[in-house]
Amino acid sequence: MGLAVSKYGFINAKLRARLSKLLSEDFFDSLARAHSLVDVMQLLKNTAYVLLDETYTKTGDLKYTELELFRQEVRLFQEIEQYTKDEVLNLCKALSMRYEVDTLKQTVRLWFDRVFRERSIEDAIGYLYRETIHHDLRIDEILTARDLEQIAEILSATPYGKALTQAIPRITAKGSLFTFEIALDKLYYGNLFAAINDLEASDKKIAERLIGVEIDLANINWIIRFKSMYNLSLDEALQYTLPYGFSINREAMASAYSHDKIGEVFESLIKKHDGFTAMLKDQGGDSHSRLVLIERILEHLMMKEVQRVLVGNPFTVGIILSYFILRKIELHKVMMILNAKKYNINPEEIKNRL
Amino acid sequence: MMFTTRMKYLVSVVLDTYTDEVTKKLLKLGVLHFVKVTELSGGLEKKVDKVQLSIPLSRLAEIRKRIESFLSIINVTPKVEEHADIDSLEAVQLEETEKELDAIAGEIQTIRDRQKTIQSEILRLSDINRQVMLFGDLSEGMKNKSTYSFLNMHPGMVSTARLQDFKAAFENVPSVVLTFNEEEGKTYAMVITMKRDDAVANTILDRFGFLEVELTPEMMGNKEGVAENIAAKILKLEKEQTNLSRESNLLIEAKQEQLEKIWKNLRLNELYNSIQSYYSKTTRTVLFSGWVPANMELVISRAIAEATKGKCYLEWQNPDSIERDLHHKVNVPVQLKNAKILSPFQMLVTNFSIPGYGTIDPTPFVAVIYLIMFGLMFADIGQGLVLMVAGFIGFLFRRKIKDGLTELLKLIIFCGGASVVFGALFGSCFGFGWFPALWFDFHGLLGGHVPADSPVKDILSVLLITLYFGIGVIIFGLVLNWINCIREKRWIELFFDRTGFTGTWMYLGGIYVAWFFVNSSFKSFPDSTTLLFLLGIPSLLFYVKSFVEFFHHKKHDPMLRFSVFSPVRFFLDWFVEMLEVFSGYLSNTLSFMRVAGLGIAHTALMIAFFKIANIASNNEVNWIYIVILVIGNIFVILLEGLSAGIQSLRLNYYEFFSKYFRGAGKAYSPVSLRNE
Repeated sequence: MGLAVSKYGFINAKLRARLSKLLSEDFFDSLARAHSLVDVMQLLKNTAYVLLDETYTKTGDLKYTELELFRQEVRLFQEIEQYTKDEVLNLCKALSMRYEVDTLKQTVRLWFDRVFRERSIEDAIGYLYRETIHHDLRIDEILTARDLEQIAEILSATPYGKALTQAIPRITAKGSLFTFEIALDKLYYGNLFAAINDLEASDKKIAERLIGVEIDLANINWIIRFKSMYNLSLDEALQYTLPYGFSINREAMASAYSHDKIGEVFESLIKKHDGFTAMLKDQGGDSHSRLVLIERILEHLMMKEVQRVLVGNPFTVGIILSYFILRKIELHKVMMILNAKKYNINPEEIKNRL
Repeated sequence: MMFTTRMKYLVSVVLDTYTDEVTKKLLKLGVLHFVKVTELSGGLEKKVDKVQLSIPLSRLAEIRKRIESFLSIINVTPKVEEHADIDSLEAVQLEETEKELDAIAGEIQTIRDRQKTIQSEILRLSDINRQVMLFGDLSEGMKNKSTYSFLNMHPGMVSTARLQDFKAAFENVPSVVLTFNEEEGKTYAMVITMKRDDAVANTILDRFGFLEVELTPEMMGNKEGVAENIAAKILKLEKEQTNLSRESNLLIEAKQEQLEKIWKNLRLNELYNSIQSYYSKTTRTVLFSGWVPANMELVISRAIAEATKGKCYLEWQNPDSIERDLHHKVNVPVQLKNAKILSPFQMLVTNFSIPGYGTIDPTPFVAVIYLIMFGLMFADIGQGLVLMVAGFIGFLFRRKIKDGLTELLKLIIFCGGASVVFGALFGSCFGFGWFPALWFDFHGLLGGHVPADSPVKDILSVLLITLYFGIGVIIFGLVLNWINCIREKRWIELFFDRTGFTGTWMYLGGIYVAWFFVNSSFKSFPDSTTLLFLLGIPSLLFYVKSFVEFFHHKKHDPMLRFSVFSPVRFFLDWFVEMLEVFSGYLSNTLSFMRVAGLGIAHTALMIAFFKIANIASNNEVNWIYIVILVIGNIFVILLEGLSAGIQSLRLNYYEFFSKYFRGAGKAYSPVSLRNE
């Protein structure tokens, strides 16, 4: 437990520099307006995403390019880990577990497609990230496993094996991996909050708030989808929500779920932000466009939290977390645009989804 | 050169029939910094309309950037020549141009799609490799083949005469064909494919009469053969990908001339429209206005008159008269006109900020002060020459690096020159005393062997030199501020500010008091009358300043009221200002000691490397000695060169500029063919 300046001085300066390189709204706008995938790649050439153009020019394969970008992100986090120690290092490791969880989800989804849905997955398996992040996931063994029990056995040396064993009956009964994926998310956040608990008081407060808000937003998103698209019972819906939220607890979610209309559910969950609920009321359109609007509002709320941290004390864990969150959002947007361009989606549609 | 360029404001009215000619003329001249005519002429908004552009500027810029991005594939950055033929300007065929660009993008996309097909094959081969490596040996793969593996393995025999054709047939399928020994005109082989390619694989196997038989355990253990086979195939495919990537470059190269031609026309149209975007119009006339360097007045007047055949009305105004009419300050654009050789120092100034209009342009002073500081901190003939050579080499290859680095490279050459000069003064070349010092031997001073006739005999004297230099720089900055205040008629500031007469009085007084104190061996201060004169009276004047400023502001703002609390507030302001003056000037002056500090560090580092070299080579001049000194010199050049550059800049920005520089200016930016 050293001084905050010595603990965060170097890494936060480094991340601040990287934060300044995040793409602006105007730039996203020009990406959306670009005429083709080739044009988008050319625009990205002069940004931190130069790797995208390099890989695409070499392979012409967008999915492979995405994999290379993922690889770069993992490396970046491993680099950040080199500059941190003790409790901050643990936090970084807990954060980068997200990449491992995502890879595992993708792998098991492919296996599930092949065995349960009898689809051909051979075109997709080459795009899985196979390097070890924290645990050896033995991706190729999972892909060729005969059943879920064997996958659980393959994963037995990792924390994910137990989660899968517990989820097997529900996966089999429901014919869906949703239970397992939620279990993985719970595991990830559980691990993250264990790391947050070891932080110093001021850092802990910031981290709990930022990650808590992220969880709140994920829960709001899920609750609205459970209500509007899956029509799940309250108990089932609550089972799938994540703990550790910052301002929305189970009671609030239960109370919101009792409303009939999506707008009311949403309103009940973000009571503090009157402007947004009014905006949602004014917005017409189908349920899909309402969901898109809700997602944008949630993202905006997250950005507000991040901005709050960025203008505060520069020597806290907030910068690392903010970078992690902002970069995730940015990557998602970039890949969304690239894929949209690949399928010739019109610029207005892309802009609406940004 | 000492001050920013004098500017004049032009308001012009021309008949709308001459709009095109006037626009082209103004673009050719490229000296008018446009301002919307409604900006400085109150009440015109309702009387004039905007000129509608045929194509929005943003659209032109978008297409231009698109071409730039295509050309960047082959590392070409298009530019408009300074003397481009504006009369050859053609109307932009937007749809046609976009179609052409879409076609190029489409062709590139087709190449990328072909690359993707190859990439899929590479990935499948990698998958085969990974799957094979999961097995202990290939027979294990054989056992699993019907269940969960992605692979199908076909052990068997094929006619030796048709073996080459058999292998060639599998070239187009992600597969591995391993061949073993021959027996009675047939060759044992193992074909491994992905299950998804079963249909194709089976057809080939049938076509060649492939007979499935069991292989020996030795053959089944040949996992390395699979890896080698796949590695060779992947290498071949990667070469194909590289060739395709080159194909897209060739495609752009083939269209380079056409793209550059379109780009040039677009750029000219963009500049042309950019000028017209500032125009306002009435039913039959077009109005425009802007700032021009005063010496261009006649040239512009003639050009517009020529373009309009004399049917124009031009009104020229000085900034002062506009300010008088408008009753407020006008943000006049600032042009810094320095000799081209000073461009790297102008870059240092503009990186900080643009000086206010009509004030001193510090570029020449920065050049001198920066180089003296750098030289004092990094004095070595040899290392200076290395910097110069590095700068020259970088400059020669500047087209291959970023444009913005050109000025930095020039600065490095200058800094190298300063190092050479100061190296000669201190007699140092790569740390060796090969030349006699023209001033004093810095190395000898630190090493403890100072010649008796040396004008500087100890470290304290070196510190004092830089302190005197700092005092000189600060006083010079204060004098520059007086000049700026007089030119801008900031009389209160000139007399009462901490950087005006009162502040200078106090600073000089402070220096005298400090000098007296040191000279008395830190025992006494000057007598009270002297102290009152040197520090007391200026302190009092600082208090008077609050009253003078208050009554001056009251003239413009009658709402201001003088209350009983005003003197108390003034006292608090005065107290804070006094603290700032004392601590500020003290720290500003002492800050210059870093020049000596860095100079000492530079010399001390070289001495340290000499000691290391002597120890490592047993005091002999051998290769170890030379290698250590070469490494030492490289290390010192990189580390100290960077430190000296940064510290010189810091002293200029914070100690020198803070005395007189008001970065409130707006850069003069005419619409011209020289625009980036």
